[in-house]
Amino acid sequence: MGERSERTTRVSRASSELNRQLRDAREQAAASREILAALGRAGADPGDILDTNLEHATRLCRAQAATLYIPNGDAFLLSRDSGKIPDEFRRQVLDQPLARNRSSTVGRAAEEMRTIQIADALNDAEYGRSDLQSLAGFRTLLSTPMILQNEVVGVLSMWRTNVAPFNTRECELLEEFAVQGAIVMRQDALRRALATKVEQLEVLGEVGDAVGSTLDLDEVLDQIVSNAVRLTDTDGGSIMEYDESSDSFHVRAASGSSQALLNELRAITIDRKTTLVGRAATGHQTVEVPDLSAVERDPHLDALFRHGWRSVLAVPILRGDRILGALVIRRRTTGSFGPHVELLETFAGQSALAIVNARLFGELQTKTKELEVASHHKSEFLASMSHELRTPLNAVIGFSEVLLDRMFGDLNERQDEYLRDIWNSGKHLLELLNEILDLSKVEAGQMVLEPSAFSVATAVEYCHAMVRERATSHAITVTVDVAEDIGTIEADERKFKQVVLNLLSNAVKFTPDGGSVAIRAYREATDLLLTVTDTGIGVPAEDQERIFESFQQGRRGAPKEEGTGLGLTLSRRFVWLWGGRMWLESTPGTGSTFGFSIPGVLQSDDATSQDLPVILLVDDDRASLDLISAYLDGSPTRVLRARDGVDALEVARKKRPAAVVLEVGLPRLDGWQVVADLKSDSETAAIPVVIATDVDDRARGLALGADAYLRKPIGREELMEALKKVGAL
Amino acid sequence: MTTRILVVEDNPLNLKLVRDVLSFAGYDVIEAQSGEEGLRAAQETPPDLVLMDLQLPGIDGTETLHRLRQDTLGPEVPIVAVTAFAMAEDKERASRAGFDGYIEKPISVRALPGQIEAFLGGGAG
Repeated sequence: MGERSERTTRVSRASSELNRQLRDAREQAAASREILAALGRAGADPGDILDTNLEHATRLCRAQAATLYIPNGDAFLLSRDSGKIPDEFRRQVLDQPLARNRSSTVGRAAEEMRTIQIADALNDAEYGRSDLQSLAGFRTLLSTPMILQNEVVGVLSMWRTNVAPFNTRECELLEEFAVQGAIVMRQDALRRALATKVEQLEVLGEVGDAVGSTLDLDEVLDQIVSNAVRLTDTDGGSIMEYDESSDSFHVRAASGSSQALLNELRAITIDRKTTLVGRAATGHQTVEVPDLSAVERDPHLDALFRHGWRSVLAVPILRGDRILGALVIRRRTTGSFGPHVELLETFAGQSALAIVNARLFGELQTKTKELEVASHHKSEFLASMSHELRTPLNAVIGFSEVLLDRMFGDLNERQDEYLRDIWNSGKHLLELLNEILDLSKVEAGQMVLEPSAFSVATAVEYCHAMVRERATSHAITVTVDVAEDIGTIEADERKFKQVVLNLLSNAVKFTPDGGSVAIRAYREATDLLLTVTDTGIGVPAEDQERIFESFQQGRRGAPKEEGTGLGLTLSRRFVWLWGGRMWLESTPGTGSTFGFSIPGVLQSDDATSQDLPVILLVDDDRASLDLISAYLDGSPTRVLRARDGVDALEVARKKRPAAVVLEVGLPRLDGWQVVADLKSDSETAAIPVVIATDVDDRARGLALGADAYLRKPIGREELMEALKKVGAL
Repeated sequence: MTTRILVVEDNPLNLKLVRDVLSFAGYDVIEAQSGEEGLRAAQETPPDLVLMDLQLPGIDGTETLHRLRQDTLGPEVPIVAVTAFAMAEDKERASRAGFDGYIEKPISVRALPGQIEAFLGGGAG
């Protein structure tokens, strides 16, 4: 029974040992899985994984504590721990780190790159850290190195406070944790390196943006030098600009430098031939001084040394072979700048761009100012020249007219002919002068457009009338076709007529006797298009662009070229001012079509703005029109303008405005007549008329049927009240 | 009595031209080559209409206009500015300054008598 019982006990012991091993194996597998899973998780904190690692090691190996040491130079520092660790131990090991030698298991594991166990620290001849032993009370110690690419990146350690060596399974377990820990640390190192690179790239990107967008050089250079210092984890630096005339460098921007140092650096001459900065710039190469105390110091380095700087690096700032300056980075401690050189050279490249940009911008500003002055002189010259030339021309033309009109007696045929020549030449010169002045105004951006509402058909008819005599005398048929859906437009009427007349008179001029000229105006969406087609000699393809240039009449070879050579140029510039285009289609021998467009002047059929009440302003004074338009700005109305009485009536009939604001003194048809006409026509009688004038005759206005009478100057309130009273607002 | 027109114009040729054309049209013309001269002439023989260049040496057209209105001429005497062609600013300046109207340069020999007549008619009615 006893024997059996003993066997049973043995069997039971063996079985419970097996069970324990099985459980350990399961737990171990679970721990490994947990760690591997954590490793795979994005964003897992590497510290947490290492901590879990240490906890598992402590528990699974039945140790009292587990620790992780990280190399720092020749020593190992405690990084993390798990289990029962007295604070005094932590302080002591921080104060006296573990050396890479045989005095500890950590030192031995690192040195021999294998797992080391000391069965009893009190009984090991070489163990040398009794200070730690007495604080933590450990006896058995086990350490295993964490190795990456043949380099010890850490040491995992465990202890027991009794003498109980770790078995093979426990050793292997710690080794496995060491491998996992190394992977975690490598991942973390990679991630840190990546983050650093990303930050560097971001900063470089920001600086690049600043270089491209900021024209304040000092601001950009300050940003560059402070970022360079921050990203390289150094203590200070400066950007020196090279001055060719003195062949020396001066501080342009600085970071982490005292005012006293900067004052001193500004006071000394950092010359190109004898200084470290100069050597870097001249040699086109980065130069570093890891220990300022160990070298012969130029005045610049000496100033740095006296202000407590101990190592310095100079990167040349170059543009091709040309020296622009240098980027100087400093530390208060000695040591090499090795790994940062590439980044700093990139910063130097950006500094070069910034300096070049700033210099170009400076030159551009100077040039622009010079051009502005020149342009101003040109405008003044043209204005005074045109005045000086016009005055005598007026006399030439005027006296010719006096004589041609026989004011002072009869003329013979030859006198009459010569006087006509004088008169024609004078008129031609005057036209030329006006066009030159207009063109220079357009080019100087000083051409003012004076928009008003006018009828396209009427304007075209006016131009037609101007060439009718000449066309008739050459038996040229002129046809006019203005599409029905084109009524009034709002544009600069005078310039519109000038353009149409120019195209039309050219067409008549270059069409042989008996030919024909057709004017067509039509719409494309809200654009007005106008074309003039002739059966003239045409323009060869190679001249079709040139013909729009100044003083080019092409090879149209009219029998008598009387144009100024500026008409088309000016016309096209006017069309451009309206945002339109001008074109030419021509077949030599068959004829030409000149056309132009004015975009957006016609209302689209479904325009919502058409629903707004229209206020028609009639005044021949642009300042008054602008003022009243400004008053109406923001009110729910659409403003149309007319500059004479005839246009006013036409617009009023077509647009049926909610009110007409009318000046009395108007060209072509005065305001009295406009009111009378509007009120006597049953179609327009209901349109309220607000007279706004400086003429003092309220009684007459009201008698004619005006609904309100305002005397200029008119205030905004007054106008709005009147428009409300007549029901327009 | 013949209608008297004071012409203030610094350019002697233009002055002569306007004088001849207006004389031919039957007006009595008083000539002045500067604002000061114009003021003196208006005081000696008050005109029925003043035709004045805007750009004058010494006191300019606008200033002359103000002094004429203040000291010498009643509001019924039209004072007409002569402005340079295509100078929108000049025209605006003329109407703001209080001229009764303007005539554009170059002066048309054929149109001038009619223009003057219109201003005289407008002033009377």
